[in-house]
Amino acid sequence: MSRSISLKEKLGFNVFKHSAESHIRIIPGAEKNERLKLAVYVCPAGLYSLNENGDVTVTVDGCLECGTCRIACGPEILDWYYPDGGTGVQFRFG
Amino acid sequence: MEKFDVVIVGAGLAGLAAAYTLAKDGIEALVIERGDYPGAKNVTGGRLYLNPVRQYFPADFWDNAPFERPVTTEIVTMMTQENAASMRFQALEFNNPPYQSYSVQRSKFDRWFGNQAAGAGAMLVSKSRVDDLIWENGKVAGVIAGGEELGANVVLACDGVLSLVAEKAKLREPGKPEDFAVGFKEIIELPEKTIEDRFNLLPGQGAAQLFMGSLTQGRFGGGFLYTNKTSLSLGMVVSIRDLMEKQPPIEAPVLLEEFKQRPEVAALIGDGELAEYSAHVIPEAGYKGIGRLYGDGILFAGDAAGLSLNIGLTVRGMEFAIASGVLAARAIKQAFDRNDYSAASLSVYQQLLQNSFVLKDMQTFKEAPHVLDNPRFFTYYPELMGNILKDLYSFGQEPKEGLVRTVRNRLSFSDITGILKDAWGGRKI
Amino acid sequence: MNIIACVKQVFDLQQVRIKKETREPIMENIPLTIGDIDKNALEEGVRLIEQHGGKVTVVSAGSEDLEETIKEGLAMGADEAVLVIDSSLDSAESAVSAVVLAKTVKKIGEFDLILLGEGSSDNYSGQVGPRMAEILDLPLVSFVKSLKVDGHRIQAVRSLDDCMEVVEVDMPAIVMVMSEINEARIPAVTQILKAGRKPKQVLSLDEIEVDPAEMETKVETLSNLAPEQDRKQVIFKEDADTAAADLFNALQSEGFIGR
Ligand SMILES: Cc1cc2nc3c(=O)[nH]c(=O)nc-3n(C[C@H](O)[C@H](O)[C@H](O)COP(=O)(O)OP(=O)(O)OC[C@H]3O[C@@H](n4cnc5c(N)ncnc54)[C@H](O)[C@@H]3O)c2cc1C
Ligand code: SF4
Repeated sequence: MSRSISLKEKLGFNVFKHSAESHIRIIPGAEKNERLKLAVYVCPAGLYSLNENGDVTVTVDGCLECGTCRIACGPEILDWYYPDGGTGVQFRFG
Repeated sequence: MEKFDVVIVGAGLAGLAAAYTLAKDGIEALVIERGDYPGAKNVTGGRLYLNPVRQYFPADFWDNAPFERPVTTEIVTMMTQENAASMRFQALEFNNPPYQSYSVQRSKFDRWFGNQAAGAGAMLVSKSRVDDLIWENGKVAGVIAGGEELGANVVLACDGVLSLVAEKAKLREPGKPEDFAVGFKEIIELPEKTIEDRFNLLPGQGAAQLFMGSLTQGRFGGGFLYTNKTSLSLGMVVSIRDLMEKQPPIEAPVLLEEFKQRPEVAALIGDGELAEYSAHVIPEAGYKGIGRLYGDGILFAGDAAGLSLNIGLTVRGMEFAIASGVLAARAIKQAFDRNDYSAASLSVYQQLLQNSFVLKDMQTFKEAPHVLDNPRFFTYYPELMGNILKDLYSFGQEPKEGLVRTVRNRLSFSDITGILKDAWGGRKI
Repeated sequence: MNIIACVKQVFDLQQVRIKKETREPIMENIPLTIGDIDKNALEEGVRLIEQHGGKVTVVSAGSEDLEETIKEGLAMGADEAVLVIDSSLDSAESAVSAVVLAKTVKKIGEFDLILLGEGSSDNYSGQVGPRMAEILDLPLVSFVKSLKVDGHRIQAVRSLDDCMEVVEVDMPAIVMVMSEINEARIPAVTQILKAGRKPKQVLSLDEIEVDPAEMETKVETLSNLAPEQDRKQVIFKEDADTAAADLFNALQSEGFIGR
């Protein structure tokens, strides 16, 4: 998959400060939700993917904190909050 | 519990403009920002229209601001799958100061703005996240940050487009996909001289190029490119609803990659080095998307209040954020003098906004989101334009047709009625 | 108990980018902060005071921005700061830092324990502690992963390559901590605000009586470049089994995998 490699490389140019907790959580039971599946298309960082079981999974490493998945899926499907102060992405340009 | 006159959530442009104004008025304002520094979490396309907000600051305020380049050249490019037509606009008056707009990079710009606010006496605390509001007798009485309660006579929420603080406090509903777009962009570094050569610019001057048409593959949105001192900001803004619904589905980052591979774009960014990839949600509902502006003990400014305008080719949010921050500060000053922070007392904010360009422009372009949400603008017109120009510029073996015929060949009667309909809708924007 | 925590102002290294053509670091606009392990040293001091009472003084030497940077240390719980500010201290070498810090400590006079990080985030020379111990003629315990105070004695667990060593020392002493000793706290908003109002003493090199000869640099930096990243651009496109075998052979012939 050349796309995900180049996207990972792109994200490698950003500064990310490690956070102890994951700031996005798929609400248990919503893994197969149709609306959640659309997060795969909206996330500019390509952090959502569909596994063989048809479940959607998310990795927060590389999250740009843009909020798109939050708007697309809503709080019933995603438990989404900003990471702790001083953690997460720190843009050098913006 | 420690108590402050004003607690401002978020050191974006709205929060910092408010903090600066309050500090100048001698009001104690504490700004809490979750990023490592102001701007660390903020993304913009790139262009700040300075003229509307000059009046709110001392004349020399912007002299040392870290602007990238004044925009002196405007370019619009319509793309189809096969071709692209560009229009380049330069007005002589754009070439001289005072410039009307500049390209900016938020991480530099907001840090500078933060220093101005702190220099004026505002308290700025970074690396701290506000988690919730404190309520007392049905009125907002402070915030909770990092588990600590901080009291305030009034809270000014400038926490940006998602405004989770307002959402948690049930002062607003979670956003819906149809009301928002996502913007994602790359910073591509190139030598100063290369940028000036490629965009045909005088030294130090800048260009803004907007792209519409097939690049979004039928989705509401477009592309943008701004010249910075030694880099380009290249990105796209696309409706979240359309990314979710439009068929065939395509991932947002793939749209951007394909856009970059277009020869018209590839030539501009060639040999450039990627320096950053960022993304951010943008309010897109226009006037009807304006949220709650004030309540008992609380005010909202900037994107947090939905004060942002996407009129197809340009997103205007930064000057709205700055102006609404200043006006919120003025409303707070009045409330401070009356020592009354009730909703009724703070409602003067709405009047101040109504008398300013902020609500006036939002009102003028009220229909814009609705009129522009028309696939014809993103597919049909660029194609029509491209086809006519192609016919005009193609030379084959047949005798060439006249101009009117060339155009007429491409337009049926129903095309013309469609165009008239769109034009009728477009008179509202 | 009087504790001195020595910390260093460093660039936020994660923010530093490398110029591709020259491999030089780009240092413009990089925020300053306190070194990571230094924060662990300070944190340990604050925890000991919380248990045993007393005071933590944060000591640092650096350029003008230090007054701002040190607020983070005061917000973390130091009671006061003693700073030596001089533009020459910006990128001072370990020997100079050790002299300046030792003289500052002498000037402060009263103390039981000096805490340092095992190495600074930027140079990681690990020399400042031992050099200070020599100048001040104090016992030094390095590589400390846990620390207990009992009356006038400290008990420290040293994390060595192949074993843990438990040592006991009488105070006053110098202790260099490792990052695993604790998790440095993230200061609360009110602590950050109060930090600006805590006592801060700013000294010049003259005031701590540093002899110019002691400031002489002995280390010459020959180059400060990012390592060259030379990609061989070899791609193995065959099926997984063949590709894995080819990759293994390639790595072996380059000497990355033992024979
Ligand atoms: C890709 C893109 C292109 C754009 N192009 C343009 C353009 O060319 N011109 C233009 O004028 N506008 C443009 N905009 C819009 C413009 O960037 C925004 O309208 C503007 O940034 C809004 O400013 P703000 O201060 O309201 O919010 P923000 O800049 O988003 O600031 C909000 C601040 O609050 C902080 N915050 C949020 N929650 C918390 C919390 N809980 N605790 C502590 N801090 C918190 C954030 O870290 C941030 O610093 C664009 C936007 C995007 C995404
Ligand atoms: S916030 Fe943005 S970058 Fe992060 S997971 Fe959601 S869509 Fe992706």
